[in-house]
Amino acid sequence: MKHLRFLAARLTFLFFLLASLAGAVLADERGVTNDSINIGLVLVKTGPVAALGLPNGQGMVDYMNYLNEQGGINGRKIEVIWEDDQFEAPKSVAAVKKLIHRDKVLTILTTGGTNQTIANMDNINRYQITNIPNALADEFFVPLQPYIFAMGATYEAQYQCIVDYIAEDLKMENPRIGVVYAKKEYGKKGLDTIKERAAKYNIPVVAELVLPTRAVDASSQVLTLQQQNANIVITCDVLPPVITFLKTAEKYKYEPVVFGFNWATDDMIVKACGDAAKNYIGVNFVGGWSDDTPGIQLVRGLQEKNKRDIGLTSLYINGVGVSWLFGEAMKRAGKDLNPDSLKSAMETLSNYETGGIFPPVNFSSESHAPAEMVKFFKADLTNKRLNAVTDWRKPKKMP
Amino acid sequence: MAIRSPTFKESYYEDIKLFQTIWIKFWVAVLVLGLVLLPIIGDPYFVYLVNLSCIATVAALGLNILTGFTGQVSLGHAAFLAIGAYGSSIMALRFNTPFWVNLLFGGGAAAVAGAIVGIPCLRLKGLYLAMATMAFGVVVEYLVITWDGLTGGVRGMNMPKLAFAGYSLDTDEKMYVFLLVITGLMLAAAKNITRTRVGRAFVAIRDRDIAAETIGVNITYYKVLSFAISSFYAGVAGGMYSYTIGYIHPEHFTLLLSIQYIAMIIVGGMGSIVGTVFGAVFIVVIPEFIKLFAQGSAKLFPFMKDRYDEEWNIAFFGLLIMIFLIFEPGGLYSIWTRIKVSFKNWPFTY
Amino acid sequence: MSGLAVGSMYALIALGFVLIYKSTKILNFAHGEIIMVSAFICFYLVSSYKVSFWLAVPITMALAGLLGVVTERFVLRPMLGEPVFSVVMVTIGLSIFLRSISGIIFGHDNYIFPNPFPTEPLNLGGIVISHTHLWTMVVAVVLTVIFFLFFKFTRMGLAMRGTANDQDTATLMGVNVRKVFALTWALAFIIAALAGIFLANVMVLNIGLTFVAISAFPAVVLGGLESVPGAILGGLAIGVIENLAGGYLEQIIGGGVKDVTAFVVLFLILMFRPYGLFGKKEIERV
Repeated sequence: MKHLRFLAARLTFLFFLLASLAGAVLADERGVTNDSINIGLVLVKTGPVAALGLPNGQGMVDYMNYLNEQGGINGRKIEVIWEDDQFEAPKSVAAVKKLIHRDKVLTILTTGGTNQTIANMDNINRYQITNIPNALADEFFVPLQPYIFAMGATYEAQYQCIVDYIAEDLKMENPRIGVVYAKKEYGKKGLDTIKERAAKYNIPVVAELVLPTRAVDASSQVLTLQQQNANIVITCDVLPPVITFLKTAEKYKYEPVVFGFNWATDDMIVKACGDAAKNYIGVNFVGGWSDDTPGIQLVRGLQEKNKRDIGLTSLYINGVGVSWLFGEAMKRAGKDLNPDSLKSAMETLSNYETGGIFPPVNFSSESHAPAEMVKFFKADLTNKRLNAVTDWRKPKKMP
Repeated sequence: MAIRSPTFKESYYEDIKLFQTIWIKFWVAVLVLGLVLLPIIGDPYFVYLVNLSCIATVAALGLNILTGFTGQVSLGHAAFLAIGAYGSSIMALRFNTPFWVNLLFGGGAAAVAGAIVGIPCLRLKGLYLAMATMAFGVVVEYLVITWDGLTGGVRGMNMPKLAFAGYSLDTDEKMYVFLLVITGLMLAAAKNITRTRVGRAFVAIRDRDIAAETIGVNITYYKVLSFAISSFYAGVAGGMYSYTIGYIHPEHFTLLLSIQYIAMIIVGGMGSIVGTVFGAVFIVVIPEFIKLFAQGSAKLFPFMKDRYDEEWNIAFFGLLIMIFLIFEPGGLYSIWTRIKVSFKNWPFTY
Repeated sequence: MSGLAVGSMYALIALGFVLIYKSTKILNFAHGEIIMVSAFICFYLVSSYKVSFWLAVPITMALAGLLGVVTERFVLRPMLGEPVFSVVMVTIGLSIFLRSISGIIFGHDNYIFPNPFPTEPLNLGGIVISHTHLWTMVVAVVLTVIFFLFFKFTRMGLAMRGTANDQDTATLMGVNVRKVFALTWALAFIIAALAGIFLANVMVLNIGLTFVAISAFPAVVLGGLESVPGAILGGLAIGVIENLAGGYLEQIIGGGVKDVTAFVVLFLILMFRPYGLFGKKEIERV
């Protein structure tokens, strides 16, 4: 009797082993065969911050499938292997190793957020992984990192643009800025950038308050800001805490102009806060979901086709944009596609338009810097979405 | 007629010998051979997994000493790992000291912290102790984030590659040897601790501390010592971790990590050194197997493609803890002993 | 005063904890997940099945109660007689399991919870407070009183306390331990459901709700795990302390002190009163 159980156990184990081995892939060039390209993706799919990454990855995958429907790249079909790192650096490092050693992918579209990419710096350079990090820190392109290409606008650029806007577009009588930030790198960078630039315009920053990402309630922050008479609030927080803040402010009848950066600029803000978002102005380096540019129309088409139920639509747009850039680079690399040729091809994307998804991309062999341009969006309460109110703009050059 | 007993040991020394029979020595030799061949046969990712298991083993050993042997529940183990990781990183970056100094410093700093925590916790029992250690963990996490001049705060800290005498351990295989050596040393030390009076005092405290005190075991001294030793292990594991991953960030050392280590010792077997190794390896490796299986079977059964999430792994992890506790409180170690016994008695099983 | 409001939310959560502890000596780490799951259930009832909110609440409560009984039967029953540490670990395992299954089923998006209360805050003699907070406090107080009386004066309450004290003796004395446990868990889950509904109202509804429960731990331990009024007081105290810390300390020490303060206070209290402010000292026999 026990023998049978042991036998069963051994057979099950063997079955597992064989099923696993069925996943091994053989290729001459890493990840590339005559009719297929294997690409990896390390991005948060599940876990506490999944909402802030899942649509992004979906956008990337959907666009790649779209390219396959158009015939693939130079006759090769693309296969994306998406590893979930749950936004944790150790998992991201493990995922990268697995994708390179086990799945032998050509490259990995992104290795995740800021922490994850930093943790993988070594791997990126050693295994020649051309990637666009899902992060906006300037250490990724200054100094030049051979395989990292930056997208959009860094946190510094975004907040500089915001302060420029306050000084030049808002035209308030007596602007007093309050900063609400999270204890994360974007929070700290935002705070420092705001203080630096506001000083150049002689606009006082009257409060610096921490609002944690998981805040249930923002009463103490709102009350302090009211006390300090801050009529402008700049948030350096992702979407959920900004929603909490706006709702709490509404409760206390506190109605400053509220600014947010790209991770908090999405139609969801208006949908969740309704009236409370009426004074919200956000910046983002992707076009708005309701824009009428060819790129955005394509994005909306993809979402419909794949029946994606998306919360943060701006992320989906972002993902499609990233895949678009990679698709173009792979096409330009031609028949002889390998990690090095891919990298060189990316560097030829100069003044490259993505139909309104991203600002014009300008890579070269000397610079992988992002466009550093953003659009400003204001809340449209009737249509429950954000509308663009400016075109692409850069931060002003300041002494 | 005299009843034959199965044990024939004639001295106390024989009873506590590490390798008791010739068979055990044989199997240990096989294990060593396997470990040596491992990096040669396995691909770098597999070696990386083994490296992670080594780190987990050392950390879990620390926790097992504290919770499994001394019965002090601790939900703050990750905090000591953080102290060790940051301690060794700071030494390496600021003072450029050789790696063994960094590791020892990390371990030492954690040990001191452990002793400090142990003192107010002397009176606490069970759930209250768990809460207090959890609180400690939260406070340490906060300090690491806030004291960013020292720790780099939310930017994290980058650790240089481990190097000595000009030889740099920059591949997973080279790290493997290093980590294996350290793990082996720590294992041996732990096993030895359990064989001495210190170990016996720990067990006495776990089983009936009031009674232990009445027969002369100084529970204050031993409780604090247990905290210190356990934290030392955690600190060393933290140092190993920072050398292996190369980048540390306060978000690596959360309550969830502490819970993972508790899971390792529960699954492996509390109060057992060998069990700790089982538990650590199990918890590190099983998610990979599941992932491998799910993704490999996608080739055979297309509907499985893209269905797999890390989330399933975590769900399984939670389920695993529950199953082991409900059905197998002795953990993998007790399963292992049962298998060994059945082999020994074959074909006379009943 | 929003400290009190937040505190009463913690207090409500704490009440559920204490209930289970008082009857079964188990600290249920999965409480946070129950809160979150019930909030989701209510949300789906209202949004997908178009049930009116006032009907959805009792349905959710009933489902929560059912979930409590099921959990007790399948997860906790086999653990009868095992050391407390193991049981607590089982609840930790359960919490992890529930959290990830919820992630798979419900997804990780943020949802907006239906709000039956008017959004205008009330102005009670100078103190601005939102309807939701007011109701939370009212419910918390009412439930506290009910449970306090229940434990002290009714037979069932007595039965629960007896079972917590010594399962074997209770069984010998004729208490149906199984029924007691089932009832306890059902009640605790129902309270959790209420807490979840209130919480989701104030915040955005998403998986992160579970972590709020962790902040409630200091509340419970502060008051002492044994005592119902202790839990409420503990909850209120933590809420107030957190807000005060947020208001005053943050200016001095810098941000983020708020969350840690609760835990620091907890640690300090435990050093001097190892059984919490109102807990009873355990008498151990050798």
